[in-house]
Amino acid sequence: MTDSSLIQVSGLRKIYRGAEMPAVDNLSFVVHEGDIFGLLGPNGAGKSTTIMALCGLLKINAGSIQIFGLSINQKGAEIRKLIGVAPQEIALFPMLTAYENLAYFGRMYGLDRATIRQRVDHLLEDFGLKEKAKVRVAHFSGGMKRRLNLIAALLHRPRLLILDEPTSGVDVQSRKMILDYLLSLQAEGVTIIYSSHLLDEAENLCSWFSILDEGRLIAEGKLKDMPAMNSGSRNLEQLFLELTGKRTRD
Amino acid sequence: MKILATIRKEFLLLVRDAGGITLIFLMPLALVIVMALIQNNTIDEFLETKLEVLLVDEDRDALGAELERAFRASPNIRLIKQVDHEALTAETARRLVQRGKYKTVVIIPKDAGAMLQRKNKNAVVRLLAHYGLSDKKPVADALPAPEIQILFDPAIKANFKQTLTSAVEKIVAHVQSDGLMDEVQTHMGKMTKKPKIKMDLSDMIIVRQENAVENNKRGMPPNAVQHNVPAWSMFAMFFILFPLAGNLIKEREEGSMLRLRLIAGSSLPVISGKFIFYFFVCLLQLLLMIGVGLYIMPLLGMSKLVIGTNYPGLLLVGFSVAMAATGYGLLIAVYFKTPQQALSFGSISVVILAAIGGVWVPVFLMPEMMQSISPYSPLNWGLEAFNNLFLRNAETAAVLPDVARLLCFSGTTLGAGILIHKSRTVL
Repeated sequence: MTDSSLIQVSGLRKIYRGAEMPAVDNLSFVVHEGDIFGLLGPNGAGKSTTIMALCGLLKINAGSIQIFGLSINQKGAEIRKLIGVAPQEIALFPMLTAYENLAYFGRMYGLDRATIRQRVDHLLEDFGLKEKAKVRVAHFSGGMKRRLNLIAALLHRPRLLILDEPTSGVDVQSRKMILDYLLSLQAEGVTIIYSSHLLDEAENLCSWFSILDEGRLIAEGKLKDMPAMNSGSRNLEQLFLELTGKRTRD
Repeated sequence: MKILATIRKEFLLLVRDAGGITLIFLMPLALVIVMALIQNNTIDEFLETKLEVLLVDEDRDALGAELERAFRASPNIRLIKQVDHEALTAETARRLVQRGKYKTVVIIPKDAGAMLQRKNKNAVVRLLAHYGLSDKKPVADALPAPEIQILFDPAIKANFKQTLTSAVEKIVAHVQSDGLMDEVQTHMGKMTKKPKIKMDLSDMIIVRQENAVENNKRGMPPNAVQHNVPAWSMFAMFFILFPLAGNLIKEREEGSMLRLRLIAGSSLPVISGKFIFYFFVCLLQLLLMIGVGLYIMPLLGMSKLVIGTNYPGLLLVGFSVAMAATGYGLLIAVYFKTPQQALSFGSISVVILAAIGGVWVPVFLMPEMMQSISPYSPLNWGLEAFNNLFLRNAETAAVLPDVARLLCFSGTTLGAGILIHKSRTVL
């Protein structure tokens, strides 16, 4: 592991029981501290499998994952204390209010009542949800739920944030609010792994890209340094299509 | 703190779920009341053998009078001598039973008393002549015996037939022994010139019937309320798996469980918090259903639930049943991956365990083979423990074996549930 690398994935392989092909195969990459790392790829490329493996929720068949210099296989619980994850699903209790949801997750992170109150108030304010603190999540719009989903991952002030489609199904205003907040987190030194289908969004946000297809890493680096970009692709979407082809991957 | 937070979260989710509250509290209450009402007659019929008996006394002598007196004194028989304000004849009574309007008729034929008296007289003469105490000669040919006829509706249960026939035979034997004694006194009186003395042969031997209870405490016979309240309370408590499994699988499907799995050290507090919360819900269910037995059942014309006097024992049994029910619900919730699987398997398995355990039909009414399987159901352990407390007013020591079984069952299911839940943290 180099000095600035926060995550080091080496030779990762995962094949699910009954599957013919591995979900990820011989995947290696490094995430540097303070980066917003774009994990991109078409459906079935292996992005979610990679994220689950990074969170220690997946038994891998081969390879190694080191986060904060710790092996995920041996120190999974310790690593999970330092990372925040906003899954693609709205991982909240719809029948609880925004405050009750966050207070519960805060308790589960081991925070005391005063800290929870202070952080929840602050985060709800930042994400424009303070007025909705006592409203049940079931009555929230898609954008509000998505913002709250992100807040729940930030309560314990993680050093590494893993986001799976964090702006999926949200309106323009909510998207801007989320992306601006992510950039402010990056400025504070938080490292972010960002997985999305929205390539224009990724292009503006991420400082480093990894493009997966059929479980394999097919390109990585800074956008301007990618050879394909130099060979004529004008933006990330063109590069993506050039690398992965136009065949649908349903 | 994490466990308390989970308990609070579960509480908020439940109180905001009207369907869940109905399922957990109102449905079981309705179930207990309906089942007790339905089974009220069935169990009472079996236990008390209350029977309407038509009596046609064409003899109008001591035999009929004694039968009437005995029938009227019996708590299990309702004597009917008139129908539609008209005295019954053998013919009309026979027709009423044939048509199924009444279940049975006892007909004492004309001259039955006189025939019995003649037979008694002949028997005594024969006895005295044998020992040389009388010169009279007994009648050589057998005298005809009076025939008391008992007609039954063919649909009547065999045990009713047996009960009534035994009762009539007992009364006839009593009348016959009185008649014999009187006849002996008549002959002896003639020989000794001494008057008859009154002899009561009814207390020559006493058969005392009593419920066997410990420590001379007063027990009580089972009835529909005594059976149904604890039985269906346990049934409802085991159905805690519905909200428990439904809630847990929903959390898994919606993603909130994934977030909890991502939080280090949350697995055990989440499961423990759920277990403790639903354990208290089970206890509350039991409390409510005992309340129904104490206060609502009497208003509906049923007997009041008698819970004995061993309240610490009752608390212990309630605690153990709630532990077992919650443990089982938790295991089902974590083992199955979809609500359909969990709820289908869970509900059918609880119905089977309840049937085996004696919830639907009391164990003593089951076929012998089922009675031998019954002790393997946790619902049977709970029901036996409740019966020990309610019906036999037993000491706590008497329920400890069943309590131990329930707690072992709870520990096993809870342990398996925790292991499965933890193993699924890593896919």
